[in-house]
This record gives sequence, C-alpha cells and structure tokens, in this order.
Amino acid sequence: MGALLTVDDVHVRYGDLVALREVSLTVAQGEVVCVIGPNGAGKSTLLAAVAGGVAPWRGSIRFGDAEVVGLRPELVARQGLSLVPEGRHIFGTLTVDENLRIGGFIHKGRAEAKADHERLLELFPRLRERLNFPAGRLSGGEQQMLAVARAVMTRPRLLLVDEPSLGLAPRIVDQIYEILLDLRRREGLTLIINEQSSNRILKHADRIYVLRGGRIQLEGRAADLADGEAIRSAYFGFGSPATLEGVAP
Amino acid sequence: MIGFLQNLIDAVSLGSIYALTALGIGLLFGILRLINFAHGDYITIGAYALIVPSADVTARLLIGDLPLVVMTPLICLIVVVAALLSDVLVFRPLRRASSPTLMIASFAVSYIIQNGVMMLYGARPKAVDLWSGANTQILIGDLRVPMLQLIILVVTLVLMTALTLFLRKTPYGIQMRAAAEDFRMATYLGVRGNLVIGLAFAISGILAAAVSLLYTTQSGSLSHTMGLPLALFAFVAVVVGGMGSLVGAVVGGFTIGIIVTMLQAYLPPELRAFRDAFAFAFVILVLLVRPAGLVPSRTSFERV
Amino acid sequence: MRDFLIRHQTPALLVAGLAVAAGLGVLTGNETVQVTLTEMFIRLVVVVGLWVFIGNSGIISFGHIGFMGVGAYAAAWASAEPGFKQIMLSGLPVFLQENQYPFAFAIIGATLLPALVALLLGIALMRLSGTAASIATFAVLMIVNSVYANWDSVTAGSSSIIGIPTVVGPWVAVGFAAGAVIVAYLFQVSRLGLMLRASRDDEVAARASAVEVRRMRLVAFVLSAAIAGAGGGLYAQFLGILTIDPFYLGLTFITLAMLVVGGMSSLSGAVAGVFAVTIIVELLRVAERGVSLGAIDIGLPLGSQEIGLGVLMALILIFRPNGLSNGRELVWPRATPAAKALAGRTLSPELAGDAAPSP
Repeated sequence: MGALLTVDDVHVRYGDLVALREVSLTVAQGEVVCVIGPNGAGKSTLLAAVAGGVAPWRGSIRFGDAEVVGLRPELVARQGLSLVPEGRHIFGTLTVDENLRIGGFIHKGRAEAKADHERLLELFPRLRERLNFPAGRLSGGEQQMLAVARAVMTRPRLLLVDEPSLGLAPRIVDQIYEILLDLRRREGLTLIINEQSSNRILKHADRIYVLRGGRIQLEGRAADLADGEAIRSAYFGFGSPATLEGVAP
Repeated sequence: MIGFLQNLIDAVSLGSIYALTALGIGLLFGILRLINFAHGDYITIGAYALIVPSADVTARLLIGDLPLVVMTPLICLIVVVAALLSDVLVFRPLRRASSPTLMIASFAVSYIIQNGVMMLYGARPKAVDLWSGANTQILIGDLRVPMLQLIILVVTLVLMTALTLFLRKTPYGIQMRAAAEDFRMATYLGVRGNLVIGLAFAISGILAAAVSLLYTTQSGSLSHTMGLPLALFAFVAVVVGGMGSLVGAVVGGFTIGIIVTMLQAYLPPELRAFRDAFAFAFVILVLLVRPAGLVPSRTSFERV
Repeated sequence: MRDFLIRHQTPALLVAGLAVAAGLGVLTGNETVQVTLTEMFIRLVVVVGLWVFIGNSGIISFGHIGFMGVGAYAAAWASAEPGFKQIMLSGLPVFLQENQYPFAFAIIGATLLPALVALLLGIALMRLSGTAASIATFAVLMIVNSVYANWDSVTAGSSSIIGIPTVVGPWVAVGFAAGAVIVAYLFQVSRLGLMLRASRDDEVAARASAVEVRRMRLVAFVLSAAIAGAGGGLYAQFLGILTIDPFYLGLTFITLAMLVVGGMSSLSGAVAGVFAVTIIVELLRVAERGVSLGAIDIGLPLGSQEIGLGVLMALILIFRPNGLSNGRELVWPRATPAAKALAGRTLSPELAGDAAPSP
C-alpha cells in the first residue's frame, strides 16, 4: 500500500525559535495515526505545516502524488486534506448551517454538497436540532462535532484532528472518537490525530509517533507499544517525570 | 418644530453619506484589519472619472453626460478597478504585515492617488453640474425636502439591504463573514483568501462609487482632496460605532451626520466656525465613556 | 569616560553625525543649503518626537503635527512684536500682548502647551485599543486645525502672524535636534521606555495591567508631544511668519514617511529617515524644476515629488519593512559584542499591532 502522506525532513522555525526539526512521518491510506507529545512539543505546528498554514523552512511534504509545501491552505484543502484545528475555531457568529456550508463550497456541484450536508446531519443529530443557532452558542462538545463535520464537508481523503479531547468531558470525547472511527469505516478516511495523552489513543490508533522538543522521539505500531513503557520514556525524555506537572502518558 | 425636522432630514442625508463611506471602510477592516485611508480617494477617483481629463478650470462632463443606467455602472467599474489595483499592487504584498503597517501603506496610497489626480486634472477645484434637476424641492406637509436628499436616503437603504442580503444569503457572502471572523480557518476549509479580499475591495469600491455620484451631485464641485474629509469623518464613525462591526459603522456614520448637522444648526453663530472641532471633541468624549464604541463587537460582521 | 561613551554610543554617534552635517552645511556658505539644513533639523526634532511615541508604544499617531502647530503658535504668541499682537491678536492675555519674550521663553511655551494638550486628550485616547487610538489621533489633528484656523482673535485665523523674530539658523536647529535625540534615547533606555516596548509583546501585555500600559503610553504621548511642540516653536522662529495650513496632512505624511523609510523601531532609524527623505525630496524637487536643454525644458510634472515619496514609502513597507536601519541602532562598527548589546537595546524589530491576523 503506497503512502498517502509523506513528511520528509521538515524543519519549521518561528524567527529564532525552532519548532520542528528533522521531522519525517508517513501515513498510509486508511490508517489512523496518532501523534502524541507534551504541550509545546510541536504537534500543532506539524499539522499546520501539512495543511499549508505554516511554511516549513526545509523539507518536503507530499500528499498523494503532489508536493504541498508552498501551497496556500485553500489549495491544500482542494487536494483533499482537511484540518480540525486545536480550539475548534468554529465561526461563532455564523449559524451551524452556515458553518457546515462553508466546508461544502469547495465543490462545484451543489447537489453533492447538499447530499453531504444531509448525510453529516444524520451522523450528528445534535447539530440538526441547532441548525439555525449561532454556532458560538453551542456547547464545547457540540462545537467539536461541528468542527469535525465542517471539515468532512470538504470531502477530505486525509483528516487532521488537533487535540479533539481538549477541554471536553471524557464521555463527550468518547463520542467524538466513535464518530471519527465511524467516518473512517464508512468513508475510508485516513486520520492523523494529535493528543497529549496516549491512554485513549492506544486503543484506536494503528501507529503512534511521539513528538517532543520538535523531534520525533519514537514511532511504532500501537500494538507493539501497548504496555506504554517505551512511550513514557520517549514522552518524558531522560529527565524526571516529576518535573512535568499534570501530564500523564 | 418644522425647523428641527428640516435639520433632521439634513442630518439623515449627511449621515447616509458617512454611513456608506464608513461601511466601505468597515468591510475591509473586518476582513483585512486594514484601515483604508485611500477609501476617500476612491471616492475622488469616481468623481473625477465623470469629466474630461484636463487641467482646465471648467470641467466638461464625459462619462457624467451619459444616461444614468450607463454612467452608474461605468463609474462603479472604474472605482472597483482602482480599488482592486491598490490591493494587487500594495496591499497584497503586505498580507502578513501588521495592522499599523497596513494603515501607513494606505496613507501612502492615498497620497499617491491625490497627487496623481492633481497631476492629471490640476490643483484647482472645479464646478460640475451633474444633475441639476435633483435639487427640486418636494413639499411634504409644511416640510420642504430636496429630492436629492430623498434619493440619497433611498440609495443608502437599497445598498445596505443589498449588502446584508449578499452577506447573509449568498455563498460568497457567507465565506466573507467566515473570513472576517477567522481568516486562517476559512482558508483551511478551502475559502480562497485572495478572492474574498478582492471581493471586499470590489464592494468597498462600489460603495465609494455611489458616494462619488451622490456627493458630487450634492456639492456640485470637484477637488483632488474632496474624499479626505469624507474618509476622516467615516474613520471616526467606524471607531465611534465600534471597530469591526458593520452595524456599528452605519450607526457611527449616522451619529456623526447628526452631530455635525445639529452643531451647524444650533451652535451660536460665533462658534459655528468651530463645528468640526466640537464634533471631534464630542467623539473623543463618546470614546471616553465607551472605549469600545456604541456597538461593541467581539468579532466582525456580527448581526449584519 | 570611555566606558560611558561605549555604553551610550548610539546617541553619541547620532549627535556627532548631526554636528558634522551642520558643520559641512555651514562651510558651504550657500544660503539655500543652510535653509534646507535648518528645516531638516527642525523636522528631525518633530520626527524624533513622533518616534518617542510610535517607536515605543507601537501605535501610529497622525496627530503630532497638530502638537507641532500648537507649539509653533505658543512660540509666536510669546515672541511676536507687541505692536502686531495688540492689533491682530487682541484675544491674547494681556501679558502676552504687551511683551515680547526671548527665544528661550518661547521654546519653553512651545514645549509645555502641547504637552498639556496631549495630557488632556491622551487621557481619553490612550484608553482605546491600538488601531482605534491611531484613528482617534486624527481627531487631534482636526481639532487643532479647526480651532486655530477659526479663532481669529488669538491666531489671526486665515491670515497670518507676522513679526516673529527669526533667530533659528542651522546651529540652533542642530542643537535642538541633538537635544531631542538625547531625550529620546534617555526615554528609550529608561525603565518606563523598556516596559512600554515590552508591553507590545502580547504575553507581557497580558501580564501587565491595562491601567499600567495606559499610563506608560500616556507618558510617552505627552513627552513626544512636547518634543514635537518644541519643533513647532523652532519652525515659527525660523520662518518668522505663521499660518495653520502647513500643520496638516501633508506634513503628517512627510514626517511619517521619514519614520517608515528610516525604520520606526529604532531611534537611529528615525534620524536616518529624516536625512534620506530630505535628500530624496530635494532631488525630486530639482527634477521637477527641470533642466533647460537649449529651447526645451525637461522636467518631471508637478506632483512627481509627492508621488515619488508615496511610492518610495510603499516600496519600503513591502520590501524592507523595518526601514533602512532594519530596526537596529547605530553602533561603532568595531565595537565589542558586549558594547553592541549594551547599545542596541531594541526589543522587537516588528511594529506590534493589536490583534492583527496574518492572512
């Protein structure tokens, strides 16, 4: 099976600050890949670079057959790659319906977009109930669902989800994961999911990358890493775990 | 009472002009965080496009002589092209620049346009008679209302309604509102950034062209700095209304129109010359009480 | 002494540069050169004043030419001939009408009055967010213009104030320019100046209280208005005749262009910009006047100077956003790195704005 996404030796700098160095990663068609790492490890930067929001200083990112480095985000989106960013970034003053439609404008065919719209509302019945609400009035969990649904409206082959569990109750997070995996099953979506902690993801992911200090520290099949020991040491480096408050792998 | 109503009509008509101008400025600010100083000069371009380019003192109408249905779209087209050109040449290379940098760049664009117009048409103001029929007065009860003021009000209402419908109902309008709220996120969803910004410039150009026609008809004169006071009052209107809110821009525009007209009417004669000073001082007072403006908004384009 | 100079080498070098320019100008013995130079030094005072606010707070001000005007009129009120004042400026307080004060008093007035006006207006303006504050500074310009153009009994309104002693030549002007540079430098490296520049960084601003940021901005606003006002006072005593017309958008544009061209995040940039723009404007002016080749005159059309300056400003913003100085301070080329670190204390080369997205 050929790789859908190949990130090769990518470096990203913000001024003098190096956010990513020598990051290489591949994702095969249909895989669920999880990138875990502590806060500030560069996870969001990695997804933003793939989606065209941050220009790498060095390296290449191939999606399908095309190089996407240097493409503006709207063009990357047209290649079939969609990002659900950290913090959801729903358009709070637009209605739920309008938020969804934004994702569908990418397509020429109106009928297609309409069908997608309908199909997604079946997947997210809660959104249907609030279709004409300003999206800013939704609860956190509903907003996360909207963000996912809106991204899926662009008909991506690869969906990037940045910290879907951030600030949400565990029950809601379970629902979101259920939906993401359901989408993968039904639509053949390939997924990259960023998370700070690995406990939930080990169950669902095919493969895992651990990112810390802007570098990939570890990669492997989820099944091989199930006991968590390797992940723990990669996540914390060789320092004492006690110095990192509140993040448990 | 009649006097007051008469003043009120003047205020509303002046407020309409400011509101249209402020709307054009507010629209670009919402999407680009650009305070476009050159907006007033788009108005100047639209007005000068009516006449034959020459440095002569008397103006000869060129496009201004054509029938209304030809003239209006033509003037709109010229101003839209000017607005788009300023985007492509100056503002597009500055997409990643900060808000103050953009503001200074627009100040430079304004300076270039003003002096360009002066180079082509001469520095002296010119008289033009665009549509003398518009000054006929209509009697409503005891009120004498110049027809032009009614036309200004109607055109303003029509344009505001059209803009609202566009932003609410059309795919591009929805994309524009999304981009105004979170530009980066909109592009992640495939919204074409430069297209949306270009559209905003084009709409702001159409609004400026409308002001060109209405204002020139009313004032009957052209000068290469004619757009300047309009832009300055509209800026202040945008701030008073609440930056980033289109409703705020309109409310601010009408507020400034009312303040200026009422000061003109009710200040003692010896103080009337200081009208603008009082108006701006009043604005500073309003801001002292409400630093976020009359219609504060968390994000742009709220409740259009 | 040596350490002192190394530590403060930026203002030392700038002042030395100004003195050399003035010396060379006077040596030419050419009157036009000296007049141009004097005007440039006066503008330098104003631009350095403008920089004290813009360079440290990151907020663009369009109102400082108004303060310059207030300063110019204050100096004129103090120093114009009593005979003229009693007839034309009958609204002035009697002590001003009947006396003619020396230059020093005139300049003190030209510094204090704008500072007072800036304090009163600034209390309101500094409450606004950066962009809104910038726009509101236009109101300052408009108010000053409207009041001074129409208050006939104290400003002679649309006619002009005459009989102001012309005591400002290149040496006086360069003296004030050097003084302005030193004051601006002292503010830049003061605790308040450092904190104000730090407050442009989002994170620091978030930690500082809004009240504190507002207070720091206000201090910079008042100080910069005072310096710009002193520039106005010099201008009045350089020209000898005064109207409000020059204190409007044209001069606002030129002074801002000077800041942009030089680079508004460093003091050296402000100074360099004044020199660069003056030279360019003079060259364009010569080109506009044209040369005669036999029977034909070749010259740029009128307005080229302004358009040229506008285009230059746009090009600088696009291709060299931190200006000629690139946001750095002037240091002695062979200075040790430690000395450079001491001297070049610019925190961030970018001009911070409020909530500007980067689409």
